[in-house]
Amino acid sequence: MDAGNSSTRTLWIAAAAIAAAILAPAAYAHAIGGKDAAFVAATVGPDPLPFMYLGAKHMVTGYDHLLFLLGVIFFLYRLKDVLLYVSLFSLGHSTTLLIGVLADINVSSFLVDAVIGVSVSYKAFENLGGFRRMGVSIDNRLAVGGFGLIHGFGLATKLQDLELNPNGLVENLLAFNVGVEIGQLIALSLILAVMTLWRTTRSFPRFAIAANALLFLAGVVLAGQQLAGFFIVGEG
Amino acid sequence: MSEDASYVPTAQLNVKPKTLLLITGGGLAAGTLIVLGAIMPAEYNLDPLGLGELSGLARLWAPEEKTWQPGAGMDPAHSSNIPSARTVVEIPLGASDWPEAALEYKFAMKPGQTLLYKWQALNEDGSPVTVPVEFDFHGHTLAKDGEEMTVANYYKSEALADEGALMAPFDGIHGWYFKNHAPDPIRIRLEVEGYYELVPPGQPGNEFRIQPLSGQPEDQALEENDGQ
Repeated sequence: MDAGNSSTRTLWIAAAAIAAAILAPAAYAHAIGGKDAAFVAATVGPDPLPFMYLGAKHMVTGYDHLLFLLGVIFFLYRLKDVLLYVSLFSLGHSTTLLIGVLADINVSSFLVDAVIGVSVSYKAFENLGGFRRMGVSIDNRLAVGGFGLIHGFGLATKLQDLELNPNGLVENLLAFNVGVEIGQLIALSLILAVMTLWRTTRSFPRFAIAANALLFLAGVVLAGQQLAGFFIVGEG
Repeated sequence: MSEDASYVPTAQLNVKPKTLLLITGGGLAAGTLIVLGAIMPAEYNLDPLGLGELSGLARLWAPEEKTWQPGAGMDPAHSSNIPSARTVVEIPLGASDWPEAALEYKFAMKPGQTLLYKWQALNEDGSPVTVPVEFDFHGHTLAKDGEEMTVANYYKSEALADEGALMAPFDGIHGWYFKNHAPDPIRIRLEVEGYYELVPPGQPGNEFRIQPLSGQPEDQALEENDGQ
């Protein structure tokens, strides 16, 4: 009964964390706002450290990116695999972050964030063995790298909304990207630590299903919310 | 593990097809319900299922605000296309520890329309109140979905009574937020005269369904006396 109680508690904590991620901010995706936006708009010339900070902050507080990462590393037990997939994800999102801003590619941030929501559900479905059930075999590396590209566009649209000054753009952009990777590393270490502890509990396999079911739901809500924004507000 | 060599395997769960269907179907249904029932009413002012109204989540929605700045000169004189009106309203405010202690009452006005106002806080027996009433005199546009709302803050303070004149800076609703700080219920007796339209009960600006006193026999008599 003891194990049951503690595992029930674990489930509730996991459920609460995911529910908080779904319900907390809602609405306008996850934009850079308030004083940060004012700072970016006022910056002329290279200013790497503040931009690095903004990149890290965006990642650490970016629940949509974090939920996807959680899904990706859910069943990665070896550090080698964690590094491989996280590198693929980073490669993907760095590419489109840089290209998106430098080439000034305009994509609706609602649509990009909707696909990011889909990526969360996709990974949960994959973790649940859904694709194998359907007899579909998709290379996981391709999926993670591909969704990385989409997440990068998401980062790009947030920066583009802020009308960056062309003076020092490349330096600031690179600094932002480095910050994103630092933020990802910080967030990843925390997620990994909690996951590793959780995996040692006997109840893990049972609650892994529930956790991925919640992750699937979170992705549906994220995607639906952004689609609603796209159709109601329009170009975002 | 039957994957080919180039496929980097990651562990997966082996969920029964029925459970998988339940998880995905349930996830899609619950997610759609959250979006339609909670997020759309609270964030976009759309309530396709009526759940936002029912749960009160719809009240969370507010348009983005833009503060109106004085400066652009308005014409000092305006010929009116509507006849002048005179209205007396009594706005009931609950005791300070009741939720009804604070409420708003506004008038619909077009840019340049002017009204003279005069209000006094009275106890239920009609005697003047001794605890100052908090008020915020302001106006704002009625923004449609997706539009910004322009807000003009005229002035706010605490007083037992006040009077003055307002020329509306833009098309919208203009009036007062009143808050009672006394332990007993009070009423604000507000008299206005000029060019404006009353907001029908239940509409923005008169959410508390306040009916003006003027139009009643004693007020008509008052108006006739004023006219002489």
